[in-house]
Amino acid sequence: MNVEIAGLTRHFGRNQAVAGVDLEAGPGVFGLLGPNGAGKTSLLRMMATVLSPSAGKMRLLGRDPGSYGPRREIRRRLGYLPQNLGYYPSFTVVEFVEYFALLKEMPAARVPAAVAAAVERADLGDKARAKLRTLSGGMLRRVGIAQAIVNDPELLLLDEPTAGLDPEQRVAFRALLRDLGERATVVVSTHLVEDVGAACTEVALMNAGKIVFRGTPEQLTARGEGHGVGDAPLERGYSAVLTEARS
Amino acid sequence: MTLTDAPARPRPRDAGRASPMSLWRLLWLELRRNAMPWMFPLLAALFVFDPFRTAMGYGPFWDLRASVLENKLLPDFVLFVAGVAAWMGSRDSRRHTRDLVDATARPRWTAQLTTWAATTLWVAAGFLICVAVLYGVTASQATWGGPPWWPVAVSLAELALISALGFAAGTFFPSRFTAPLAAVGAFLLCLEGFRNAVGRSSVYALLSPTTSVPDDDTGLFRHYLPDVSIAQLMFLIGLTLVVLAALGLRRAADAGPRLRRAAAVIAVAGLAAAGTAIGLTGTARTQAYGTVIPALHDAANDRPIPYTPVCGQAAGVPVCVHPAYRNFLPAMTAALAPVFRQIASLPGAPARVDQVAVNDLIASNGAAITGVPPVFRLPVPATPDETSFGQNASTFSSYLQSTLVTGFVLGAHGFVAYGPPVGTPAQQAVVLALLQKAGTAIQTGAGPESAHAKAEQVAAAARRFAAQPAATRHAWLAGHLAALRAGRITLAQLP
Repeated sequence: MNVEIAGLTRHFGRNQAVAGVDLEAGPGVFGLLGPNGAGKTSLLRMMATVLSPSAGKMRLLGRDPGSYGPRREIRRRLGYLPQNLGYYPSFTVVEFVEYFALLKEMPAARVPAAVAAAVERADLGDKARAKLRTLSGGMLRRVGIAQAIVNDPELLLLDEPTAGLDPEQRVAFRALLRDLGERATVVVSTHLVEDVGAACTEVALMNAGKIVFRGTPEQLTARGEGHGVGDAPLERGYSAVLTEARS
Repeated sequence: MTLTDAPARPRPRDAGRASPMSLWRLLWLELRRNAMPWMFPLLAALFVFDPFRTAMGYGPFWDLRASVLENKLLPDFVLFVAGVAAWMGSRDSRRHTRDLVDATARPRWTAQLTTWAATTLWVAAGFLICVAVLYGVTASQATWGGPPWWPVAVSLAELALISALGFAAGTFFPSRFTAPLAAVGAFLLCLEGFRNAVGRSSVYALLSPTTSVPDDDTGLFRHYLPDVSIAQLMFLIGLTLVVLAALGLRRAADAGPRLRRAAAVIAVAGLAAAGTAIGLTGTARTQAYGTVIPALHDAANDRPIPYTPVCGQAAGVPVCVHPAYRNFLPAMTAALAPVFRQIASLPGAPARVDQVAVNDLIASNGAAITGVPPVFRLPVPATPDETSFGQNASTFSSYLQSTLVTGFVLGAHGFVAYGPPVGTPAQQAVVLALLQKAGTAIQTGAGPESAHAKAEQVAAAARRFAAQPAATRHAWLAGHLAALRAGRITLAQLP
């Protein structure tokens, strides 16, 4: 099991961002849905080991991230794309991806090939030597994806990965997600339910810091039959579950 | 199979182990994309218009020219180094990459040290290029000695400290205003702040490199004393280690036990080095040839530097100078020859001119012409002012003539440089007359009315004496020189 979470809680002052989440996941693409402020990003940041939980237990890739040695091992095997991707404008695409490959402590000999592969998989081959300051928002998002997958992660955490991508890129990205999900655990936090329907094998819906639904996209769709609002069946399931949770 | 019951994928055995090579590669990336090189055009312009121009105004003496490294070039660099280091230190916060960096396996402290090292290496490279230009030009002009490296080492250590302080400021207080504030703060600290903090007259002000100005003749007649430089290096390197360790200790919770221990050891070592330097500096005492710290002092440095003088002739009188002044010998003989022609064969006229260290002459109570046969011991300050080598040729010539004539007329205690007239009115008048005949114009100067009237009387007597035929002046001096030196001749008694 790559992700084992029990009673995970995180407070920011009086605000409880994550309230006792239980979650287990193995290889595959796991969708994390929810409205703004549901706690998705906080949960992902805790799974990325950059935010410590206030309470609860978490094991990632069979290790306890609370201890330094295991945490470092987890980070070597982790890919993370934050919601607000920062970047160094003067770096080229290749340099930026290589920089994070080196920070992830990849063996130097493996880095050039891994960087080239990640850049190609993110469909940035023709922009490999471009400075980041010259790229569009969608391209920068793909750079973020490239740096997240450069170390061939066993646990890949993507926070709003398709934000800024055009429809064609989103279709290609979903294919990439499915491919990655065959070998690794991919957790995708998104607002876009169509991404979940197309790429995820399992989905969780968060509201007010708690997971209020857990199942397959088909099960979520089924919850919307005769209920909810939305154009697509999955959206109706999403709104039906949220309405039920809020009531 | 669902997500939850699929087995975790086994990891290849060779994965996830970083090699030292990857750290070098990381440093290379930081070097390529560092902001410091963007400052080089500005630094180059500053270097040309301030330190380099100042140094070229000095004579081609190694230690003198090297003094601009600490007094001019260092403050120029400090401004930019602190700003750029703060800018680089705040990069992850400004660019919102903290989460990205934090989620990687390499400890954040290591990544920060790599960024700091890249910034500091660029700083060092820029500084050393300036040193190379300055020393290269000096090497093509100097006739003696070699480049002093202590000021270079101390300057580099101070730049490393400023870089660390700026970087820490950027890390601890990440804001777009941090860089300019750090730049201004470091500049003021470097120039005035440190000295004011410890007290201007305090011996601890020596710990700041910009307070050090070489003594006259340092590196020519006497060895450069590295005592203070050693203490400065210990102090600056110690503080640099403390600041860098503080970056690691700040993230102690996220670092491993080895890194925490390393940061703690580095901090303690840095504190020990800085504390030792402060203690040693407290024992410093100023001697005739520089500042001495007993525990660091090498007695061998107290011995004069052996050299073979270079000699020329001024109206038949040998003029010998230190080989570092070889290029100025023709100007010296040309300046002294007209005076020697007027005083040749007179009692007490020098039979030889020897250049001596300024401090040696001060120690011997200013006796300019001594010995049998008389030797004119000529001090020439290397410290740049209007009388030193490499300055205005006519001013320098006047200085040499004035020193010789005054020493000759006033006797054993007649050494003066520039300043108010010395001696009796008759002595002053004879000095002025001899100088006028040697090519230096008589100036009565300004002042209170009574002083002005007295100076006019002296000038009139000087003109009258100078108007006499050379043989008449020479004969009068031969007969009255002893009385003149004793102060028994009045203005009215002058021919």
